[in-house]
Amino acid sequence: MKNSAKDNLKQQVIDQQKCTQCGACVNICPYTEYYEDRIIPLYHCDLQEGSCYDICPGTPTDFKALQSLMFDKQDITSEIGSVKEFCITRSSDQDIRINAQHGGTVSTLISLALSEGVIDAAVLAGEQDVLLPKQTAVTDSSRILEFAKSKFVVSPTVAEFNALASKNEVQKIGVVATPCQALALAKMRLSNDPRIQANIKKLKLVIGLFCGWTFSWEALKKVIDEHVGLKNVLGMDIPPSKYHNLKVFTPTGETDISLDDLMPCINPACNSCIDMTAEFSDISVGSARLKEGWETAKSWNHTLVRTIAGEKLIQTAKSHGLLEFKDVPEGNLEKLKRAALNKKENLE
Amino acid sequence: METKNEINVIIAGVGGQGNVLASQILGQLFVEQGYKVTIGETYGVSQRGGSVMSHLRLSGNEQVSPIIPKGLGDLIVALEPMEGLRILGQFGNPDVQVIVNTRTLMPMSVMAGETQYPDINSVLQLIQTNSKSMWTVDATQIALDMGNSILSNIIMLGAVAATNILPIDQDKLFNVFARTFPPKYVELNRKAFENGMESLSSRT
Amino acid sequence: MNMIVSNKTGETALFMGNEAIARGALEAGVSICAAYPGNPSSDIIKALAEVGPEMGIHVEWSVNEKVALEVAASAAMTGLRGLAAMKQNGLNVASDFLLNLNLSGIRGGLVLVVCDDPGGISSTNEQDSRLFAKMGELPLFEPSTFQEAKDMVVEAFELSEKLELPCLVRSVTRLSHARGNVELGSLSTNEVKPFFDRSKPFINIPSPTNAHKGLRQKFSKCREIFENSPYNYYSGPENPELMLVTSGAGLFYSQDAVRCLDVSKRTGILKVGTTSPLPEQFLSKHLIKTQTIIFVEDGGPFLEGNIRELCAGRPEFSNTKFLGKLTEDLPPVGELTPDLIIDLLCKKLDIEFIPRSAEYSEAVKAAVQNNTPERGSGFCAGCPHRATYWAIKKALIRDGRDGFVLGDIGCYGMGAGPAGYQQMNTMQAMGSGVGIASGMGLLEQFGLDQPVIAVCGDSTFYHGAIPALLNANQHGSNFLLLILDNDATAMTGFQPHPGLGKDAMGRQVPSVKIADICRAIGLEPEIQDPYDLDTTIKTIIRLLREKQGAKVLILKRECALVAVKSKAPAFSISVDAEKCLGDDCGCNRFCTRTFRCPGLIWDAEKKQAQIDQAVCTGCGVCTQICQHQAIISEAS
Repeated sequence: MKNSAKDNLKQQVIDQQKCTQCGACVNICPYTEYYEDRIIPLYHCDLQEGSCYDICPGTPTDFKALQSLMFDKQDITSEIGSVKEFCITRSSDQDIRINAQHGGTVSTLISLALSEGVIDAAVLAGEQDVLLPKQTAVTDSSRILEFAKSKFVVSPTVAEFNALASKNEVQKIGVVATPCQALALAKMRLSNDPRIQANIKKLKLVIGLFCGWTFSWEALKKVIDEHVGLKNVLGMDIPPSKYHNLKVFTPTGETDISLDDLMPCINPACNSCIDMTAEFSDISVGSARLKEGWETAKSWNHTLVRTIAGEKLIQTAKSHGLLEFKDVPEGNLEKLKRAALNKKENLE
Repeated sequence: METKNEINVIIAGVGGQGNVLASQILGQLFVEQGYKVTIGETYGVSQRGGSVMSHLRLSGNEQVSPIIPKGLGDLIVALEPMEGLRILGQFGNPDVQVIVNTRTLMPMSVMAGETQYPDINSVLQLIQTNSKSMWTVDATQIALDMGNSILSNIIMLGAVAATNILPIDQDKLFNVFARTFPPKYVELNRKAFENGMESLSSRT
Repeated sequence: MNMIVSNKTGETALFMGNEAIARGALEAGVSICAAYPGNPSSDIIKALAEVGPEMGIHVEWSVNEKVALEVAASAAMTGLRGLAAMKQNGLNVASDFLLNLNLSGIRGGLVLVVCDDPGGISSTNEQDSRLFAKMGELPLFEPSTFQEAKDMVVEAFELSEKLELPCLVRSVTRLSHARGNVELGSLSTNEVKPFFDRSKPFINIPSPTNAHKGLRQKFSKCREIFENSPYNYYSGPENPELMLVTSGAGLFYSQDAVRCLDVSKRTGILKVGTTSPLPEQFLSKHLIKTQTIIFVEDGGPFLEGNIRELCAGRPEFSNTKFLGKLTEDLPPVGELTPDLIIDLLCKKLDIEFIPRSAEYSEAVKAAVQNNTPERGSGFCAGCPHRATYWAIKKALIRDGRDGFVLGDIGCYGMGAGPAGYQQMNTMQAMGSGVGIASGMGLLEQFGLDQPVIAVCGDSTFYHGAIPALLNANQHGSNFLLLILDNDATAMTGFQPHPGLGKDAMGRQVPSVKIADICRAIGLEPEIQDPYDLDTTIKTIIRLLREKQGAKVLILKRECALVAVKSKAPAFSISVDAEKCLGDDCGCNRFCTRTFRCPGLIWDAEKKQAQIDQAVCTGCGVCTQICQHQAIISEAS
């Protein structure tokens, strides 16, 4: 008997530790579910052709086809994908900056997209358990800040997108996505499956997040618990690589945990990832790097505008005065490209 | 070389179709008609939705085995078509006669959409080809028209009687009915039997 | 009119083997009948329970087979007659008592009917219970016909009383579950006043050896009696080419084979009805007639071994060939059939049996192969076990530690197959899942890091799980016991158990709740309706992770076959044709293919799921599994 799509997905992705828990294969059928940071095949499906395999970011991908479908040819770079514009931004609203991870650019853009009607729902990551993300669809821009902090464990964002898109109530969806999630969403654009096609038509905005790697929940929980006690965690951050640590904010201050202690917690799937900047997004956002040092840089974002839709949103934010812009220091783009290339080359 | 002085009847169907009751009624009748009767039944977990069959054997002088030897069926009463075909595999022979209730019952694997029920006409064709004669009765439909599908086994007994293959004494049979069923259902079962008889004789 | 209690002596009834046994007990004037249900033996007590009040006897479904035998023995200890009935596994449970009672003896008549199930048609094992007669040096009757099934029970009671020894009657599925002519004898009118004679206690100590000497004497006396038993006879030529030596249902197969092949002039049949102790002189007299002996018996090589033992070293048998299961001329495992005997006779007599042409055989073989998908067994529509196994499967996968399920036999034993999503991983004796879990739950200290679930049914809980649970709690075993309480002994035909508040004869009796027993053991059980999948799954995961020690979750929901008789369905279930996308859904027929309820079927024409309203019981469990909520329920 030939392998089913599910069998292949299990053998080629899950069993190879290439599953990032992005959630693409969840909620398009009842056979697989996301549970506590694991994608688990619950039942056997014998369909030989299944969308679950086709849209998984861990299976072979025709990147050229995707790029020509989504981007202007002249914008494409080999290191970080399409670049229409590279800027340093932050929210003009101090409240947002305080609540958000860095400059609050993502929160600002999602809030704007909702209030402008670019999208009528956004898929964002909240928390369901300590350090364990839970996906939520948000339609009210005033709730954005509840989801503003970075998550360090991949959330099943695409699963929530699948569920949301298959409902009639929602027509325009925005997603904040890690690179693997953005890739899964992009692969849906190539799908022949009419259900996936119908879903992806509703995807109007992808804001990608720069990502080096993420943690496995069980392992991370254990290390954090040993260092500060799980119940004391208020927030976390990873400063530039020279610091080589994870900062944990607690009621009594900050604790640094050496990345050496955390290396074993890294999601094994991240080791096979070649995309640092979430190339298949409309806009990608990460933490900024500034000459002034981390204390200043940490309240700004590096922002890559990749598509016409992204460009339009950034322009609106600018004209409404919602984002502040800072001159991009010389060499920042090259450094970013080098870092991104590094990730691609490390794998090869 | 073969010497056979018994009549071998197999009533085949699906658990819950009343195959045990049908064989018991016939058995009781033939005891009263002076035969030695042996009935073997498949029991066990197979009764829940599985294939079931009763072997009903009439002999003159001595009791025989409750299992009919291979290839020695004389009459097959199939409460379900596919079960009739299944029986032919082990107990059929060119002289066997078959009466089939044409209403199909799906196995779990078919209900689940994993396998397919064979084309009903080809099932009947295969039974016909591999038997001396075959009669078909839509016993379940007749039963439903009478108000309850549970009557289909008794309707099939009526069809059996109409073929004259078995020496059924009708008056004695109705006596058995009177002792088997609660009083209020005796007449209904009698009617079912008669409808079964009629459904077969009206076509010949 | 129930023929079991007919007064018409000499009349012929059509009895199932088990009914014939029950009738025999009534003709023998039995006072107490006890059993634990188990096929192929269940119908014996069922038949007696129906007429118990009318006949003025006590009939009960006991909590297990050992207790059943003890209850039946009580009659025989006071001069009355008692009958116990059980399947082969049940005799294993009762054997400890039996193998003491053989030494201490009895006063009245005690007959133990054991129904073996060669081939395991409705069993988890196959075993030859006749070895207990040999081990216990007890008289053993093996009926070959329906008439003998009745007559031998009467005879066994007489002999039991004469020898002051329990007698065994061994039936097999093909006799117990088959029907045939039985000529009725007269019902007993004996009235005996029971009396317990304190001067003759039933105690084997201080010298079990002395008691054993007494048993040996009774056994020898029994052998003498059996030499003249009418249940042993030879039919055939004076010097046959070969002789079939047979007992039990083997007689049918032997006779069928000889008749089909028309070899009655070449073949003799030596039929033995009293197989322990063997009537040695009777056998020697007939065995000498031939030099080729074939043993035809269901079970192990019991007659074969014992007769070979008897003939060993005797010069008159030095040239005799003994063929059977020991020589593998007949298969040493599985059930006998007439075909096996026909084939063997053909081989040994160098003849052929052609009931149909090879072409015909090939044609029907091909027709059957390609057109008759198997009808696997499964849970009924609305069965709470389906919901339970669905929940177990999902909970164990979510938990993610490769947990496993220890179980036993009952309807829920089908959890080992596709019906229960292959969730059950062990199946031995009644209650063994809990006993194994009691040990498995201690293996963490050796590095076992998988969670342990045990399952047992309600009847099984009373029968065999209570001591195991007590043991587990005493030793701090860490596992989760799921008691699948469906208020029924469903597999064997809905016999009452101690939790149901009624007895075999339909009388109101006190009931003992499973939860109360758990509490008395020191374990506070949680109770959950398995129909609520989500809560059941969450509860199982929580209990698996929560704390050390044994935990009990009672999954309580009445058997759907019982519920459907007493009340209207709670919900009317239907498939919303708009919401069910059928083959376009991409779910690959998830609900019908994966959930496997006979009430939820795939409509091949509409290419959609559909509820078979004739089968659906309205449990509503399937409404929880469609991702598009296309299966809907309305209160009915």
